[in-house]
Amino acid sequence: MSPTINVQQLSKTYQVPEREGGFGAAVRSFFKRKYKDVKAVQQVDFKIEQGEIVGFLGPNGAGKTTTLKMLSGLLHPTGGKAEVLGFTPWELKPEYLRVMTLVMGQRNRLSWDIPAADSFLLNQAIYRIPDDEYKQTYKELDELLELEPLMKKPVRNLSLGERMKCEIAAGLLHRPKVLFLDEPTIGLDITGQARIREFLREYNKRTGATILLTSHYMADVTALCERIIIIHHGNLKYDGGINDLSRRIAPFKLIGVRLAEPNSHDLSKYGEPVQNEEDAEKQYIQVKAEDVTRVTSKLLADLPVHDITIADPPIEDVIEQAFNQ
Amino acid sequence: MLLIIKRLWQVNWAEQWQYRANLLMYLLYWLVSPIIYLAVWTSIANVKGDVNGFTANDFTTYYMVLLIADQFTSNIVIHTFGYKIQDGSLSGELIRPIHPLLTNGLVNNIAFKALTIMGLLPIWIILFFLYKPDFSGISWTGIALAIPAMILAFFTGYLLSAAITSLAFWTTRVYSIHEFYFALILLFSGQFVPLTLMPQIVQDIAQYLPFQLLIYYPVQLILGKLSSAQIVQGYVMSFIWLGIAWLFFTWVWRNGVKRYSAVGA
Repeated sequence: MSPTINVQQLSKTYQVPEREGGFGAAVRSFFKRKYKDVKAVQQVDFKIEQGEIVGFLGPNGAGKTTTLKMLSGLLHPTGGKAEVLGFTPWELKPEYLRVMTLVMGQRNRLSWDIPAADSFLLNQAIYRIPDDEYKQTYKELDELLELEPLMKKPVRNLSLGERMKCEIAAGLLHRPKVLFLDEPTIGLDITGQARIREFLREYNKRTGATILLTSHYMADVTALCERIIIIHHGNLKYDGGINDLSRRIAPFKLIGVRLAEPNSHDLSKYGEPVQNEEDAEKQYIQVKAEDVTRVTSKLLADLPVHDITIADPPIEDVIEQAFNQ
Repeated sequence: MLLIIKRLWQVNWAEQWQYRANLLMYLLYWLVSPIIYLAVWTSIANVKGDVNGFTANDFTTYYMVLLIADQFTSNIVIHTFGYKIQDGSLSGELIRPIHPLLTNGLVNNIAFKALTIMGLLPIWIILFFLYKPDFSGISWTGIALAIPAMILAFFTGYLLSAAITSLAFWTTRVYSIHEFYFALILLFSGQFVPLTLMPQIVQDIAQYLPFQLLIYYPVQLILGKLSSAQIVQGYVMSFIWLGIAWLFFTWVWRNGVKRYSAVGA
């Protein structure tokens, strides 16, 4: 059987207009525009079988969203081929659009000015969902995401997290066979994130749907995906089991230290200093996992430490680091 | 398909109601120029007796009918859709298995019209009592002939505007292009002045352009001012332009979507 998603040599180059600041440049660009080629995705290959949940990772600007947009049909590639369920996505055939979904941040299956319930009913008609199936799916989504209290309010009055829940539900009403999820848990609280994960796992198990998702939350990826694909600067860097990658990147931990006088000591002799905007009063260093105990006790012995935390480095940083080495 | 249209209508109708104040402002803005033309031309005709054979009552009936015909045939697709291509909010609609402009955009425009016509009605009645036009020249036959002509004109106008709106796939300056298109409408549709008062050369050109189908042709049909030959020619032009508009729109759309960059999201 052919794979559900088959991507061969897929490439996308954006032409971005470019000019210097200033009046002269503005006039010149009126007559002759300069363009810069930005290679967002470069000759990427992968295959995903039916029923797989694959995490699609990479630092900001790596080409993840561009790839998802091509696979859902929004973007035409500049090179290569892709087939999803036997369709070429960017032909935008209604038969294809009816069996896949793309959930992207904030946008945009819901009309901003009217209650989500009305948009849901519109989707029911557009995707030709029979009444009983619609009711059943809605019930399941409501149980998991607690939609009912949100349904009657105009979408513009919902919070970010509430809107995200409605967006996801709107994208799943037609029970798609392939799901492209770009940051599906963004804006949700911990419980909300866990619920979405639980739901996706359940949905995948029950329907055998294929899921490709990007997320900044490592928890999403570790909870759901056995396989991950990493791209960086538009190139495929890794395609394989998540455990293998963990072994490759696990050696690092992030130690955060708050000193009696914030930022008063140079910590570079204890480990590699790392920028982290989470807490301005804390200094962060990155150390190898096996050194954590030694470095921590040394820090506590040497310096007036008020607070210390040990954490996994953010996934984006780890990936960036792993592939810049 | 019927259910889709019904639900699209419910959503768009509700949306338009959300913006009723906005819509009223638009209506008042839109009413300004025809009402000024009406006031100016009737005053001139009153002083001079007539303008090239057009009496004050001719102008009054012309503009009173124009107010209604224009509401039926015009569209606002550039305003409701252009920004979606530019800021990427088209994405959500593009991956739905229905055509964004031929379903949602169309229904949205019709909902908008339905509401503005409701808003126009009281204003029209006030104008009627102010100017007391003599509508004795109007016949049911004229109205019956004008209705299909206005429906054809609406679709032609919508497709042309939708095609121009879709140029937003190429350029961020699509609003300037549309302004130019709008200037052509103003000049050749008969909105500025009844076409028969235009120089002969403009009249000759106008009869082959689609713009007069939007206003001049249906207004003259209603007022019963056209010969049988002119009526037939108008209908022939209506169908030809509908075909051209369809080809133009589908070509622009098909090629534009390939360039869509789905920015933002």
